[in-house]
Amino acid sequence: MEQLVQKLKEEIITALNLSEMKPENIDEKAPLFVDGLGLDSIDALELTVLLEKKYGLKIQTSEEGKKVLYSVRSMAEFIRENNKG
Amino acid sequence: MEAFINGLSAISPQNTFAEEKLLQEPGEYCDVRFIKCLEPQYSGFIDPMAARRMSRIIKMGVCSAIKCLKDAGIRNPDAIITGTGMGCVEDTGKFLISIYENDEKLLNPTPFIQSTHNTVGASIALALKCNNYNNTYGHRGFSFESALLDAMMLLQEKQACDILVGALDELTPDLFTITDRLGFWKKVPVNNLCLKDSKSRGSIAGEGTAFFALSRHKSEKSLARISSVMTFFRPENITELQNRITSIGKPDLVILGINGDPQGDEIYSHLRKGIFNDIPALYYKHLCGEYDTSSAFALAMASGIIREQRVPDIMKLDDIPVGELRNILIYNHLRNVNHSAILVTSC
Repeated sequence: MEQLVQKLKEEIITALNLSEMKPENIDEKAPLFVDGLGLDSIDALELTVLLEKKYGLKIQTSEEGKKVLYSVRSMAEFIRENNKG
Repeated sequence: MEAFINGLSAISPQNTFAEEKLLQEPGEYCDVRFIKCLEPQYSGFIDPMAARRMSRIIKMGVCSAIKCLKDAGIRNPDAIITGTGMGCVEDTGKFLISIYENDEKLLNPTPFIQSTHNTVGASIALALKCNNYNNTYGHRGFSFESALLDAMMLLQEKQACDILVGALDELTPDLFTITDRLGFWKKVPVNNLCLKDSKSRGSIAGEGTAFFALSRHKSEKSLARISSVMTFFRPENITELQNRITSIGKPDLVILGINGDPQGDEIYSHLRKGIFNDIPALYYKHLCGEYDTSSAFALAMASGIIREQRVPDIMKLDDIPVGELRNILIYNHLRNVNHSAILVTSC
């Protein structure tokens, strides 16, 4: 799990072009949006594309999206639970 | 119809962004087929969280717009009007490549959102939190002039007092390759400062952003005044062209859009032998390259010349003595399709 969290942090930095951010600066449990990293709705779309492209996972509803994209940890849990391959 | 230029900022292949005086150290580029902008440090002008999503042209546009407004002492303009021939080409390219590579699926939203012509105008509005009139003109070689005309009409109709008007066009490897296939650029690299003497077909590609704070009112910051803007599409012959240009009035100096392509430059030669024969002439595309909104760079040069009452030697085409500079005419054409004339006057 820790390996996945680290990998996800690196992928998020690349996908969202957070060039001044390092993986260790991201608190895996902190909210990604508004507080925490301060991401916005365009970033939410980028993260949704990232999950689908890299892990073949689709977020089905906006409610599920809110839960999954809450933090790096919640994204990693979603991947671990659904990415059986 | 007139507008006072109360501030300006340009990012170009010259050091126009940082230099206080006009072309103090002209940039020479040896063996080139294109020249690119000298980019400034963006921190201090753009919020890093916003900048991370911006392509090069968006950063250059927003940065020069913010500096222009700072110089003019304006926080929130009554209108933001931009002109761009090609818009945000880098993001457009990214988006199209992504469509192709991903079989029209799983497309990243950012390049799509940022690929439009009005991205820079919108990004400036977001940075300033400005909800006023915002418009962008994508009219090829008339793009900047159309933005200027819109601004001047708003000022004349008293719908606005202070307007931010700007032009932007970027050069990307893909755009260069495509336009090279169309024969726009010289096949053999040249020195940019020798561009006017080149005998081969085509020009050198360029890019740039230039923003102007226009106002109805003259202030202590006023650099110059735009007295007239005229555009004409595919003039039938040189006589028609001469008649249109002379209707603007006789200037003390002309700045011509000579780009080193003998075919297009023939028009300027005719004019220099005709209506401009006793008027000192300058040119500017060796300094910024050829692009759809290069006349905005020329306007920045003209404003600086009027303010400093000094003509940089590097721009001179002849030895005709230059007297007091009250009226400067910028005349440019883009591949003999879009012709424009801008008259800049001292305040």
